[in-house]
Amino acid sequence: MAYDKIRDPRRIMHVEGDMEVDYIYTAGIAGERFFVALRDKEKLVATHCDKCNHTFMPPRMYCDRCFAELSNWIELPPTGAIASYTITHEDNNGERLPEPIVLAFIEIEKTDGALIHQIGEVKPGALKIGMRVQAVFKKKSERTGALTDIRYFKPA
Amino acid sequence: MTVAIVGVGHTSFQSTTPDISFKEQMFEAAVKAYEDAGVNPRKDIASFLTAAEDYYEGYSIFDEFVPDQLGAVLRSVCTIGGDGLLALINGVMQIETGLFDVVAIEAHSKASDILTFPGIVTHGLDPIYNRAFNVHPYFVAGLEMRRYLHETGTTREQCAAVVVKNKQNALSNPSAAYAAKMTMDDVMNSEFVSDPLTRRDISPLADGVIVMVLASEEKAKDLSDDPVWLKGVGWCSDTPWIESRTWSTAEYARLAAERAYKMAGIKNPQKQIAFAEVDDWFSYKELQHIEALGLCENGEAGKLLEQGNFSRNGKLPVNVSGGRIGAGNLLEASALQSVLECVLQLQGRAGTRQLKDAETAVAQSWRGVPTATGCVAVLSSEL
Ligand SMILES: [Zn+2]
Repeated sequence: MAYDKIRDPRRIMHVEGDMEVDYIYTAGIAGERFFVALRDKEKLVATHCDKCNHTFMPPRMYCDRCFAELSNWIELPPTGAIASYTITHEDNNGERLPEPIVLAFIEIEKTDGALIHQIGEVKPGALKIGMRVQAVFKKKSERTGALTDIRYFKPA
Repeated sequence: MTVAIVGVGHTSFQSTTPDISFKEQMFEAAVKAYEDAGVNPRKDIASFLTAAEDYYEGYSIFDEFVPDQLGAVLRSVCTIGGDGLLALINGVMQIETGLFDVVAIEAHSKASDILTFPGIVTHGLDPIYNRAFNVHPYFVAGLEMRRYLHETGTTREQCAAVVVKNKQNALSNPSAAYAAKMTMDDVMNSEFVSDPLTRRDISPLADGVIVMVLASEEKAKDLSDDPVWLKGVGWCSDTPWIESRTWSTAEYARLAAERAYKMAGIKNPQKQIAFAEVDDWFSYKELQHIEALGLCENGEAGKLLEQGNFSRNGKLPVNVSGGRIGAGNLLEASALQSVLECVLQLQGRAGTRQLKDAETAVAQSWRGVPTATGCVAVLSSEL
């Protein structure tokens, strides 16, 4: 459409722009408990809904099934089983990574949830769905209260 | 429901469109749609709905940037923060309330203006639990794909067959951006982005705009000789916590379809639906969505697709338009591209890809990684 169209690609104009946006993201009541226990005790915190018999990992302070507020906090060892994994070859800009990164969907034992994290100390070809894994932590002095306080999960 | 689509207009879908602004593209599609419906937007259309997501647009409060090129200045305008099908469903509801009798729906993509697409998708991930790794956000699709293959016994080859089919279908769609005669080897041997997901399993982004005019029963009969009727609609969101979802089945699509079928009186979709346009952002998602829509049993889609069931000349053609993989991934607008194909087929306007004797169709959308949100609409040439 349009009466006239630009036919010379050298004449096509544009301006460049970007949106600089910075935020803090509040961990919240449940997140606070999770990351403090992770940092200080090497434990995972879940919440349990007694009515639905459902254990939330990561923890939430409410149940998305019956909509109750949850106050039953459980501490668990950082172990689980690989429910799925992927070998990622690109970074967040779409550039090829020098070394692929293995990420897994790790079902945490005694919960109905999971954590998504890196897998280490195992060759990609040896990965199996169902493989039991445990968290490998950073040194206490290097921990910041983030998911990366766990360096990766390794076969248990 | 008694709401019909009485006009459609769209640009061609292209990998880049550097010579024309998104506003001019919208203007083009709108002029075509209003011409098709035989309406003057300044007189005949009382309400306008667009589908947009600020981050895709590069504008804050993008809603403010749509009225002029749609003929909507000083009219009732709203933007739906969802896909084009959700905008359409909201338009249907506006007419059902009796507030308006003619409404325009718009969805678009100017994806070639986005310089940092993976970054935008990453910002859709939970900042505290899911953004810690410097990896392409399609890792979520890699995880989901492997789990889907594992639980259903579907193979990578069957996913590759989706890509071959949709690229092939797009050859007969003059608007498609990525038509090709691609081979199984081309797909299977393409590089991994997030193993088992390859480059070719991913729909490539494209630019394009689609506009539709909806009307009440009375107005539709007045405006059009062959209106396409909305028989049923549904939409659904699963939990945003990717740690808590069922990964092998698309529950959002299953429940949205259940609601739409109930409204439309569809009891046996495999018999009552003539063809389907489903979301194929990734190859395996087409299979998962076919199963969620009840067009086959769970875990059977890959095998049936390989056998040709969902080919253009098969029992239940899926994505005759080429889908996102063949026509191009139009972000929030691919949902309307699916509806567009249903309209063209049901009106007998689909050119060389025209299906015979198609009376009832289903269109389904998904908003891409990391969402679990989608819509379903059942459309028919019969009231
Ligand atoms: Zn509960």
